[in-house]
Amino acid sequence: MPRNEYQADLEALRDDVLYMSEVVAERLRDGLDALERKDEALARQVIEGDTEVNDMYLELEQDCTNLIALQQPVASDLRFIAASFNIITDLERIGDLATNLGEYATEAEQDVFPDVDIQLIGEKTLDMLDRAMTAYAGDRPQICYEVAKTDDELDELCEAASEIVVRDLIDTERAESEDITTLMADVSRLSLTIRDLERVGDHTVNIAARTLYMIENNDELIY
Amino acid sequence: MAHEPMEPSESDTDSATETLISPSPGSEALDAGRLATDAGTTEPVIQARDVSVYYNDDRALNSVTMDIPKNRVTAMVGPSGCGKSTFLRCINRMNDLIDAARVEGELLFEGKNVYDDDVDPVVLRRRIGMVFQAPNPFPKSIYDNVAYGPKIQGDTRNLDERVERALKGAALWDEVKDQLDSSGLDLSGGQQQRLCIARAIAVDPDVILMDEPASALDPVATSKIEDLIADLAEEYTVVIVTHNMQQAARISDKTAVFLTGGNLAEFDDTAKIFENPENQEVEDYITGKFG
Repeated sequence: MPRNEYQADLEALRDDVLYMSEVVAERLRDGLDALERKDEALARQVIEGDTEVNDMYLELEQDCTNLIALQQPVASDLRFIAASFNIITDLERIGDLATNLGEYATEAEQDVFPDVDIQLIGEKTLDMLDRAMTAYAGDRPQICYEVAKTDDELDELCEAASEIVVRDLIDTERAESEDITTLMADVSRLSLTIRDLERVGDHTVNIAARTLYMIENNDELIY
Repeated sequence: MAHEPMEPSESDTDSATETLISPSPGSEALDAGRLATDAGTTEPVIQARDVSVYYNDDRALNSVTMDIPKNRVTAMVGPSGCGKSTFLRCINRMNDLIDAARVEGELLFEGKNVYDDDVDPVVLRRRIGMVFQAPNPFPKSIYDNVAYGPKIQGDTRNLDERVERALKGAALWDEVKDQLDSSGLDLSGGQQQRLCIARAIAVDPDVILMDEPASALDPVATSKIEDLIADLAEEYTVVIVTHNMQQAARISDKTAVFLTGGNLAEFDDTAKIFENPENQEVEDYITGKFG
C-alpha cells in the first residue's frame, strides 16, 4: 500500500487517542473511588495526574496538526483526524472533571445525602466513555447511537439526584438543626459533583457524535 | 475582468448549431450561444453522453457521461493513462489531430454535438480555448502573442484595447504594460503561462480547457495561476486536468475522478469528492492507498 509511513502515522494516532482515553477513564475511576472512600492520597494523585492528561492532549493536538499540514489528508482520513482532534478535547475536559472529583473528595463529607448514589451515576459515565471509545476503535456506528441514548438515562439520574439535594436543602427542620454553613458547603459540593458527572456524559456523547461523523460522514449526533 | 457585458439580442436564442459552422470574420453569429443562459448559473455548457475514445483498437475512454457546468471550474484527476487528458482533448476536438483516434458517443456544447459533420473545428476551438502544460508563447512580442487570435480572425477592431483587456484578465498587464514589444519568450515561466492564457481569452472564448497548466511552474507562479483560474471562472467555464489533487481541491467547484480503463469513477462537488466520496476506489485513490 502506498504512503506506508502516513498510514502508520494514522494508526499511531488512533492508538494514542485510545491510550489517552484509558488514562482519562482511570482518572475518572480513581476520582470516584476517592470520593467514595474519602481517600485523600488517591484524590491528590488524581489532581496531580491531570498534568499528564494535559500533556497528552497537547502532544496529540500537535500530531493532528502535523498530519494535516504535512500529509494533506482527505476523505475518511480527513474525517478521522478531524474527529480525533475533537475527541482529544473532550477527553481532556473529562480529565479536568475527574480532577474536580478529586478536589471534592479532599474537601467534604460526601455521605451527608445517603440517598444520592454518586457511584451509580459515575459507573454510568464510565460505561458511556468505554463504549464511545469502543465505537471509535472499531468503527462501530451503532454504539454511537447507544451512547447518546444512555445519556438520557444519565440525565434522569442526575436530575433525580439534584432533586433529592434540593428537597433536603429546603427541609427547614434539618437546616435549623445543623450548622447551616457546613450544610450549604456540602450541598454545594454535591450539586457540583452531580453537575460534573452529567458533563462527563455530555463529553462522551460528543465523542460518540464525532465518531459517527468519522465513520459515516453523519453529523446527526453533533449538537 | 476582460469582458464587457454584452446585451442580449434576438440571436441569443439561436442554437449552437449556427455558431459552430462557417465563421465569417468578426461575425456576431459566433457569439450567438454565449448569452443563451445567465452567467453564474450552473446549468451544463458541455454534456458528454457515453463518450468513448479509441486509439486504434485500444480504448482510452470508456463511455463517459457527465455535465460540465457553466462558469464553474471543473477539475479532472486520476492516475496516468486514466483518460482524463483524452477527454479534455475531445471537448474541442484536439483528438482530430491524431489519426488513430476515434470518438464514439455525443459531446454536446450548448446542445450541439461537436462531432457533427457540419461543425467547424476552428470555430469550435475559438469558443473552447486551450492552455497546455508547458507555456508555448509564439516567438513574437507580448502584444503580438495576444493579438494573434483576433488578427487571424480578421477582427482588428479596438485591438489595443482587447490586448489590454486580455492581459488584465490574465493578471499580467501590470507586469508587462511597459514592455509590450518585448518577446514573449523573455518572460518567466509563470508569466509565459499567463501570456498563453491572455492569448486564449483574447478571442472571447466560452470555455477554457487547461491541461496541467501549473505543473511546470514554481509554487509562487502556481499560486498566481490558481488565483487567476478562480477569477476566470467569473467569465468563463474552466475545465482543468491536474495531477495535483490538492490543486484540484483548492481551485475547483466540481471534480471528476477517472480511474484505470478510461472510466469516470465519480463526478461530484469537489467538497464531496474530497470529504466523502461514494466510490471506494476513488476514496483509495485520493487518500493514496491506490495509484
